[in-house]
Amino acid sequence: MKTGKEFNHILNECLEQLLIKGESIEQCLQSYPEQAAQLKPLLQTAQVAKKALAIQPRADFRVRARYQFHSALQEAVSPRSRPLLGWLPRWATVVTLVVGLLLVGGGTMAAAGNSMPDNPLYPVKLATEQVRLILTPSQIGKASLCAELADRRVAEIIYMANKGDAQQVELITQRLDKRLVMLATLASAQKAAEAPRMMAPPAPSEETVGAPDVYADSRAKLRMAVAYYADKHQAALRAVLEKVPEQAKPALRRAIAVSETGYQRALEALD
Amino acid sequence: MQDEENLVRRAQQLDQEAFAQLYEQYFDKIYRYVTLRIGNETEAEDMTQQVFLNALQSISSFRWKGIPFSAWLFRIAHNQVVDYWRRKKGTTVPLDESLASSDSTTQLVAEHKLDIEQLLLATKKLTGAQREVISLRFASELSIAQVAKVMGRSQGAVKALQHSAIVALRKALAVTDDENR
Repeated sequence: MKTGKEFNHILNECLEQLLIKGESIEQCLQSYPEQAAQLKPLLQTAQVAKKALAIQPRADFRVRARYQFHSALQEAVSPRSRPLLGWLPRWATVVTLVVGLLLVGGGTMAAAGNSMPDNPLYPVKLATEQVRLILTPSQIGKASLCAELADRRVAEIIYMANKGDAQQVELITQRLDKRLVMLATLASAQKAAEAPRMMAPPAPSEETVGAPDVYADSRAKLRMAVAYYADKHQAALRAVLEKVPEQAKPALRRAIAVSETGYQRALEALD
Repeated sequence: MQDEENLVRRAQQLDQEAFAQLYEQYFDKIYRYVTLRIGNETEAEDMTQQVFLNALQSISSFRWKGIPFSAWLFRIAHNQVVDYWRRKKGTTVPLDESLASSDSTTQLVAEHKLDIEQLLLATKKLTGAQREVISLRFASELSIAQVAKVMGRSQGAVKALQHSAIVALRKALAVTDDENR
């Protein structure tokens, strides 16, 4: 009779034969005839456990995950670009950007608002958006703005895809992803901030009795807007997929996947 | 191992090709490990993705000091699983709806679907450590030495745990089989 330690070792030897060398249970048992009766049921169970190898990621998840990983990798590899004016304190960044944009002029800013990525005014558009994000005080306000900016990104993706510019489509898709991640993060943070109030018993003061929950209301409105954008963007991106030049199609498919996942996450965060 | 060491060193210098190779090499293994540990495909997708993003962020801190890269990566996955169960603590986790639903036919190799569902059900009846050793050995195909590194135990202890896990799994599978009849 073998000790427990010896038997554990023999069992492991048999598992190696079964899992690595691909031998049959009978072949394994022949090597250890004295322990065959004890080993057989365990090796049969091991063969069932081996079926875990059939668990495979879904194809669309594999594509989406690979794309997001490569985007993150690309971002990590690209020269450590500081954020715009990243060396300045936050208040100074805001002041500098506002002054800069005022110098550019209101007319230019308005014109930049509708510019596309192939337009020289496009960087002004991005900078203006950045300022709006910084100046928006509440989380829910920032989240709403993210939804609005995501809408702009999708319009730009469609525009550049129609032109067959796959590289720009990839680049804008990364910006879209960033906005949707920010939207989901802000929505989660907002919900977490609301949670203690929702769990706490209502205070018996006159002011609070019957007062509408402003934040929950804003979140519900935002959810409706995000659900609307999610449907609209999927429909718009899919509608142009067949029409765009062939070279832009893979990038556009990735944009569709990013948009779908991003909105799904944002909606879950808002639920 | 030498090849992997070289790949990891290149990945630490943010060589995209090297990192992409490591990603492809481990993606399915990590996904299977997480799925078997938590039994929920949708959550497993998010967590798998997070494992690689975390690895990308912290690869510069990885050192070859007797710990293989695989153990380091699975340790990240293990921590994700621990966090998941910590968050879920106190809530009843249903059997993976996505795996059990008829819609998931295309998500898994069809002929193994029933076996996988039974396996997932059965592994839910094991202890955390037993489930971990089954996941690492059978879903991710790690060697005993690698499992020992991931779990921070001796090889002898892992062999003993492997034995008890298979015994427990056999009992759980018999129960699951009876329940399905």
